[in-house]
Amino acid sequence: MKRKFQNSQSRLPDNTAVKQQQLPAYRLQLSAKEILSGFFATGVFCLGIGIILLLSAKSIKEIEINYTEKCANCAKLRENAANFDRECTCSIPFYLSEAMRGNVYMYYKLYGFYQNLYRYILSRSNSQLVGTDIKDVTNCSPFKNSPDGTPIAPCGAIANSIFNDTIVLSYNLNLSIHIKVPMLRSGITWWTDKYIKFQNPGSHNLSSAFAGTTKPLYWPKPAYELDEEDPGNNGFINDDFIVWMRTAAFPTFKKLYRRLHRIQHFTEGLPAGSYSFLFLDFPVSRFQGEKSVVLSTLTWSGGSSLFLGLAYVVTGAVTWLAFFSMMAIHLRLKERKVFFLQ
Amino acid sequence: MEREPAAADEPRPPGRRRRRRRRRRRREGRTRTVRSNLLPFPGAEDPTASAAKGARRLRRCGGTQHLADNRLKTTKYTLLSFLPKNLFEQFHRLANVYFVFIALLNFVPAVNAFQPGLALAPVLFILAVTAFKDLWEDYSRHRSDHEINHLGCLVFSREEKQYVNRFWKEIRVGDFVRLRCNEIIPADILLLSSSDPDGLCHIETANLDGETNLKRRQVVRGFSELVSEFNPLTFTSVIECEKPNDDLTRFRGCIIHDNGKKAGLYKENLLLRGCTIRNTEAVVGIVIYAGHETKALLNNSGPRYKRSQLERQMNCDVLWCVLLLVCMSLFSAVGHGLWVQRYQEKKSLFDVPESDGTSLSPVTAAVYSFLTMIIVLQVLIPISLYVSIEIVKVCQVYFINQDTELYDEETDSQLQCRALNITEDLGQIQYIFSDKTGTLTENKMVFRRCTVSGIEYSHDANAQRLARYQEADSEEEEVVPRGGSLPQRGSTGSHQGIRVLHRSQSTRSHRRTGSRAEAKRASMLSRHTAFSSPMEKDITPDPKLLEKVSECDRCLAFARHQEHPLAHLSPELSDIFDFFIALTICNTVVVTSPDQPRQKVRVRFELKSPVKTIEDFLRRFTPSRLTSGCSSIAGVATSKSAHKSGPSLLSTLANDGALLRLEERLDPQAPGLTSNGYSSGADGWAQHKAAREPEPEQELRYEAESPDEAALVYAARAYSCALVDRLHDQVSVELPHLGRLTFELLHTLGFDSIRKRMSVVIRHPLTDEINVYTKGADSMVMDLLLPCSTDDARGRHQMKIRSKTQNYLNLYAVEGLRTLCIAKRVLSKEEYACWLQSHLEAESALDNREELLFQSAIRLETNLHLLGATGIEDRLQDGVPETIAKLRQAGLQIWVLTGDKQETAINIAYACKLLDHDEEVITLNAESQEACAALLDQCLHYVQSRSPRSAPEKTASSMRVSFSPVCPPSATTTSSPSPSLVIDGRSLAYALEKNLEDKFLFLAKQCRSVLCCRSTPLQKSMVVKLVRSKLKAMTLAIGDGANDVSMIQVADVGVGISGQEGMQAVMASDFAVPRFRYLERLLIVHGHWCYSRLANMVLYFFYKNTMFVGLLFWFQFYCGFSASAMIDQWYLIFFNLLFSSLPQLVTGVLDKDVPADVLLTEPQLYKSGQNREEYGPRTFWLNMADAAFQSLVCFFIPYLAYYDSDADMFTWGTPITAIALFTFLLHLGIETKTWTWLNWTACGFSILLFFTVALIYNASCATCYPPSNPYWTMQTLMGDPVFYLTCLIAPVAALLPRLFFKALQGSLFPTQLQLGRQLAKRSPKKLRAPKETSAQERLPGEPRTEPSEQGSLGPSGSFSQDRSSQVAWPAQQPACSPEASGEPSVVDVSVPLREDTLLEGLSSQTPGLSSPGEVILECPGDSKMKPTSASRAAPLSSIFSLSSFSSLNWISSLSLVSGLGSVLQFSRSGLQMDKQDSEFLPSPLPPDQNLQATDYF
Repeated sequence: MKRKFQNSQSRLPDNTAVKQQQLPAYRLQLSAKEILSGFFATGVFCLGIGIILLLSAKSIKEIEINYTEKCANCAKLRENAANFDRECTCSIPFYLSEAMRGNVYMYYKLYGFYQNLYRYILSRSNSQLVGTDIKDVTNCSPFKNSPDGTPIAPCGAIANSIFNDTIVLSYNLNLSIHIKVPMLRSGITWWTDKYIKFQNPGSHNLSSAFAGTTKPLYWPKPAYELDEEDPGNNGFINDDFIVWMRTAAFPTFKKLYRRLHRIQHFTEGLPAGSYSFLFLDFPVSRFQGEKSVVLSTLTWSGGSSLFLGLAYVVTGAVTWLAFFSMMAIHLRLKERKVFFLQ
Repeated sequence: MEREPAAADEPRPPGRRRRRRRRRRRREGRTRTVRSNLLPFPGAEDPTASAAKGARRLRRCGGTQHLADNRLKTTKYTLLSFLPKNLFEQFHRLANVYFVFIALLNFVPAVNAFQPGLALAPVLFILAVTAFKDLWEDYSRHRSDHEINHLGCLVFSREEKQYVNRFWKEIRVGDFVRLRCNEIIPADILLLSSSDPDGLCHIETANLDGETNLKRRQVVRGFSELVSEFNPLTFTSVIECEKPNDDLTRFRGCIIHDNGKKAGLYKENLLLRGCTIRNTEAVVGIVIYAGHETKALLNNSGPRYKRSQLERQMNCDVLWCVLLLVCMSLFSAVGHGLWVQRYQEKKSLFDVPESDGTSLSPVTAAVYSFLTMIIVLQVLIPISLYVSIEIVKVCQVYFINQDTELYDEETDSQLQCRALNITEDLGQIQYIFSDKTGTLTENKMVFRRCTVSGIEYSHDANAQRLARYQEADSEEEEVVPRGGSLPQRGSTGSHQGIRVLHRSQSTRSHRRTGSRAEAKRASMLSRHTAFSSPMEKDITPDPKLLEKVSECDRCLAFARHQEHPLAHLSPELSDIFDFFIALTICNTVVVTSPDQPRQKVRVRFELKSPVKTIEDFLRRFTPSRLTSGCSSIAGVATSKSAHKSGPSLLSTLANDGALLRLEERLDPQAPGLTSNGYSSGADGWAQHKAAREPEPEQELRYEAESPDEAALVYAARAYSCALVDRLHDQVSVELPHLGRLTFELLHTLGFDSIRKRMSVVIRHPLTDEINVYTKGADSMVMDLLLPCSTDDARGRHQMKIRSKTQNYLNLYAVEGLRTLCIAKRVLSKEEYACWLQSHLEAESALDNREELLFQSAIRLETNLHLLGATGIEDRLQDGVPETIAKLRQAGLQIWVLTGDKQETAINIAYACKLLDHDEEVITLNAESQEACAALLDQCLHYVQSRSPRSAPEKTASSMRVSFSPVCPPSATTTSSPSPSLVIDGRSLAYALEKNLEDKFLFLAKQCRSVLCCRSTPLQKSMVVKLVRSKLKAMTLAIGDGANDVSMIQVADVGVGISGQEGMQAVMASDFAVPRFRYLERLLIVHGHWCYSRLANMVLYFFYKNTMFVGLLFWFQFYCGFSASAMIDQWYLIFFNLLFSSLPQLVTGVLDKDVPADVLLTEPQLYKSGQNREEYGPRTFWLNMADAAFQSLVCFFIPYLAYYDSDADMFTWGTPITAIALFTFLLHLGIETKTWTWLNWTACGFSILLFFTVALIYNASCATCYPPSNPYWTMQTLMGDPVFYLTCLIAPVAALLPRLFFKALQGSLFPTQLQLGRQLAKRSPKKLRAPKETSAQERLPGEPRTEPSEQGSLGPSGSFSQDRSSQVAWPAQQPACSPEASGEPSVVDVSVPLREDTLLEGLSSQTPGLSSPGEVILECPGDSKMKPTSASRAAPLSSIFSLSSFSSLNWISSLSLVSGLGSVLQFSRSGLQMDKQDSEFLPSPLPPDQNLQATDYF
């Protein structure tokens, strides 16, 4: 039972704008007349941005060389387990008709490699990779331990399936002189990845830090020997490794492999001329996809402004189309009065 | 009062079951036994008092919880039980179980999609929010419980031997409680003693049932005679009574005294918890039921839970979503299986084998994928939908409550939403079922006219006075203060002003409305106060009747000492005298002086006229003597005076002188009291004058249970026959010449709805005869009259009087007055004695008491002598015609279901514009099932033939059950105005039979309005149920009385009017409005808003979730259907809950698609809700398709933009999330019609929250939250122009089509709502000004006689219309109303001729429709005269067309030549026009007058 209180005040509700739902409001009218200007402005805006993007996309130089077929023999060779550590190289010459100015990036591109599989992306151990517990392989199933039980470092399906072709770009000044194009293997990862997310186990000697673990199944070398040239690029903080560990969004993806070191002949970028790729192939081609290598420059908007430009232009055009049709309707209906049918 | 016991039981918290009481209360069978707590505790055998005391103290201190004490505990939970109990309750909701199940699925390693803990978060959040809400509610209940528990009251303490103050919660069954005036009763208490000398106590039950009149309670028989003060210590009796139950109107039991004597206990002995003691100094009682066993608490059911139609549809769509979810998951699973199969033999690098090195079989992989997909896509079933809807509804209810336009100043109450979850149903109503009395009308009765002994007294001055009141009202309501308005009203008005002021200050202080002391409002207020506004009180007497009354008063004063004083009067005068006596005393009106406890020293009947001789004594007390002679039940005599008189005679005689002196001292206002009980004629007159003068100070207030009783008492007072005092055994009437006459009240046989009458048995002080005065419905009373022979002149005279009276009664009904017949019966002493014996038996019976009393009453109320009849007007409420017109325009079909007579109902229907004079009325009165069937067929045939366009398909479907599920009621109103249907209760009963109900419904559906008269509460609910189930329509029932409760409960939306008939309707209702006119705003504005808001919000929810899930689903095509999600699980889980919920809540609560003023001026906009334009299957699927399209755009634009890049999965997923958010907000922006700062804030907040959370989350932990590992993702993205570029283009591209099509549709094929919006935008200022008048301009046929009325504001519209009809009434009787000729009624008078011609024209074209003998078209002008008695057998239904003369509408409609005003009469018995019809028709007019009138057109 609720007792009724006998207040002396009246129960007249407060006459405030909120309580009476009388807040001043902008009313949106959805009719041709009301949103004509909106459509027009949107169209202008989209077309403008689209054109800018398209123009900037024009300045992007990109060359892609698919080496799946051309280096198929190596793949075949590797399929025999006996030829495990035999080196196989294949070289693909190509001709750069135009110089690629500015920063040139070298990507490898895989077709049909599902790095975004649900079970695949789960199979990694972050605590291992950040160096806190090298033997923590709990999430890495089924690539936790080697058959003899030692934990794998780095464990997991992602690490296991690392892309480990070696690609060397050489610039053929003339028929005889092949200059190896200087490439930087640093700076191809996010800064935070390199310095925060991936850390080697805290020990001066990397190999001792990795003691008690074993290399992943498909790896030819343990993690601490990934980069023979730069000892600071070994272990979990190896750039290629970090790049690989950032799982791609689509089954077809490219990943940054190297960037041009702009010295000597290449201070302006890659000059026009003939080049060749040399592929050092390791037995990791067991997927139904294709591999290619991409050389590309970037603009302010990243590498893919072509589509965005198109999208903007198309949207802008459609908006204008809509604008004109509505304008026509509006002009025809101008005389019509608003009336209730009733 | 039908009450579902289950409903009453349901809200009671479990665990609050009655606990077994040790010994004192055994629960054998169906009774409970109560003993005094002060008796030595039966369990404590220890004879020493101290031990008993000790035990008692122990019980009081420690063991209280074992006894059902008076502690109120409405809380559901304790601190310990809260969590398990609340969770248990929440899991009753299927959705919660579903979400928990999904979350738990995450704990299965093979199928988990999210981190298990995280997956539980949203469901825990939802549970926590609900739990918090429950906790808060419980806490506020606890607080109010605590407050009530700690109220104090006086309880008798055994230790201290006196009453001590205790808290309410300490009261236990068997305690003695002493209550003082104006105290609230703490428990159900058996009244044992009262300070009132008659052992009476008055209580106000407003808290219980809302009735403000005082109810009388009586001390238990056997205790009232105690001379000394009641001493609880001596109370040794045992009370046996029923177990606690929730029936407020019943209490039975008996009290067993020590000596083995038994006495019955009835509800008159019980004081109910929650009521307030009034007018009684102090009472003492023993607690019978305490705490939760009290009737008040057993009756206290919480708010009802109903499921709205929109919610039902939504649940259906949720199921579609579930289906969609399963389909998507299945599709994914199959896809994954195929994918696995394809890559299985290749042993791809990215293949993740099982731990034992083998690959998953495709089937297993598919099964896993299926389950994981269900988890990932669970967002499709919106977890926050239910919570959001609840929040929105609560806010909507809040805003409805807060609307000042729904606030009623007069009663100081605003609209009450009792059901919290059907607000949107208000926007979809198709049928309104309305009660008449109290709903359409004020239920404030005003005495209008009467007929006594066959002579009519038309009270024209009274009618003029009433008209003047209305004038005054409308003047008051005009905004412009007119200085002269008050004086214009004349002396009556100013006199009322003073009196009202006085009243409102003194008497209303304890009323529930509280004090509203503003003097300037007082007069306005007074018009609407219950039962006693000056309009009802100050009746201008008819001069002729007044003269006759004073004549017979004088005669009686002369003849009083003679043997048969009444015999000296002519029969007519004697009838008049009896008539007024009956008006005065045949009721249950309680006389109170404002706010004073009742007179403490009263005149005992015995003392009034001291018994002089033994003959006198014998003569006086013959009834009791005869009783004892006739049987031997004097010991249990119920007639209290009879019982009391014997033993107490001596003592009272002894005290005689002292009491008299005391009385004179205390009661100086009654100087007419002299030693012999009445004063002599001459000084009586003088004293009367003297007594009249100070009247303003000492005003008597009449508290009546029903307003017409009060009206009659006030009417009698106007004829100087004033009720001055009513005790339970006597009634005092003050007459100018006779002085105070005191009638010994032997019995009161109360009103019941079956008998439809009440009677009092009194002993006449002048003749000492035993008289029965009966007052009741004319149909009942006229049948109970003494059959009179036609042989002698007397009998013939009587016959004539009766037939005349019947004619007048019919006339009253035509005028819309409520009629009551007054009759009398003189009982011989022997007759009375025999009846008394059986009556006493009936009264003392324990079983079947009600039925026996009913039989006994029927035995008494026979062979009556007709005195006269009264006509009481029940005024229409303010704004009823306008509201009905608006609701009509809004496409609502209004049915009136009333218990009233057909004529009255039809008249009210005309008055409130429910029936129109230019439309046809089909009347259905059938005497038998077959007749009803035949009539229905004819009507159907007729209705179809008159609308040829719709006829072909209608005929095909009419007789079948095939009703289209949704049928806009406006569909048939295309060509000509559709007819209205009037059906009486009996025919309705036939029509509601299984085989006829389809026909009836079909007919009713074709009709513009339906009027069911004489219908019982059950029939009302049956009609509602029928329409609801057969037509699949949304129904609303509105009513104010207990008879509407069943109808209110059956309807989809029940609306109660918190009016004069108590709170039962309100208790049963979902919404309670103060007046009928608020229904307009409630439905048309709030209903529409609520519906539109909620519909849009639900659609938006589905859109949002589908679109979001679509994004995930498209991704499956690019990840081998492996159920991975590119959107971070955090975003996935909290997106709905946090990031995108606030803006839609704001929109759902505040959006106004069309402003209120446009909605009110264009009520047809309401139809959008009826036709479910905003949320139906079509809109739902369109919405889903749009969602699918948008998700495609929002997926593929970022996909293509990032296609050839090195973006990783979550760096790509985060922009998608942002895009989704922007798209949602923009979409909401398109859907939101009004943008206030709140909307902007909410949207800004949403975006801000998303980015803040994302930034913080992405910076929080480098290695956490696998698989996304989102460290620094957002930060990186925000440095990337592509992110911004995608976020810009995707939402624009996604919403472009929607916007475009909306704009196209808005300009090419705008819906009504859009037009309304444009209208509002176009002229926001212009619209506001003509808002009030435009409503009237739209009414077809609105009277436009005087231009000045056009400019007046809303309420005056009703006035003008009311007035026009009232002005016209006197004009119908030019012979007997000379005053009326002054009225400007020249216009009306010409109407009949016109109608005649019209009707003739119609009848010439209708012979095809009317089958012989069944359908008769009538022209009122030339109908045949027939004796009344013959026609009374068949219900009179033909004469309502008369009222058309009385309205100016007629003229306007005629002048418009809008339709053929005709009355189609379908009646079994071939209705004839009655004699009186032509009698009261204005006689044909002189031609010049007629000409004049035609010029007028």
